[in-house]
Amino acid sequence: MVLKSRRRSPAAPLSAMSDIGFLLLIFIMLLSLINYRKEVRIEYPEAKRVEITDSDEQLEIWIDREGAVTVDGDLLGYDGLEQVIAGTLGEHPDVRIQILADRGTPYRHINSVISLLQTLQHRSVGFVVKEDL
Amino acid sequence: MKVNDPMGALNDLSFLLIIYFLVIAGFNTNRGFLLNLPSRDKPRIVQKDDLLKLALSREGEISLNGEPVTGEELDALLTQNLKAHPNMTVFLSLDPEVPYQKFVDTIGTIREKRVENFSFAMAGG
Repeated sequence: MVLKSRRRSPAAPLSAMSDIGFLLLIFIMLLSLINYRKEVRIEYPEAKRVEITDSDEQLEIWIDREGAVTVDGDLLGYDGLEQVIAGTLGEHPDVRIQILADRGTPYRHINSVISLLQTLQHRSVGFVVKEDL
Repeated sequence: MKVNDPMGALNDLSFLLIIYFLVIAGFNTNRGFLLNLPSRDKPRIVQKDDLLKLALSREGEISLNGEPVTGEELDALLTQNLKAHPNMTVFLSLDPEVPYQKFVDTIGTIREKRVENFSFAMAGG
């Protein structure tokens, strides 16, 4: 008896590819939602040499050209800011504080935030700038 | 007549969206520099010869002992002083009205020279 060998033409399962594609899409969309942040319209200062200042836990303090301080979309006075920083440091002692200020902001406004951080004995601060390419 | 597979177009769309979201996710990364804020409670004792006092004016001009210096001159000055005084401490006094960009520029020059002992404060603050 002669057995007939079945030959199948090799083919990549494209339906599996689309499944993977959509799962990846959902994953990345969710990830971008987690990373969502409320931005303040500022003109970033530029520097030639920059490093990544991101951390797992971070508190972003935005300072606009007029010196208005915003944290997570909320406009705060210096008393409010002190409470927010103290509360965050209490919950997450390893939090990284990032200062995002407009390039034209007078230094006295940044100094007010720095003085607050010094009062709260927080030392390491990230100054966020745009890379000058 | 060959029938087009509608899944093919959907696959293309999903991969394009993946690339889009991946690129968008990269936008939120903070870049800049980390600084250790000078401590108020523990003043450091520095030898007079090791101290380099710089001042940044309202217009963004850097001066050393009241004498204005250009960016290139500051660069050379830091290199020269670091050779002569490896424990050099740079203290930067900032005018309250100096724009933040000028502060970033000056810090950038000092960091480029790998000055380990660096402190800053607002003039009259």
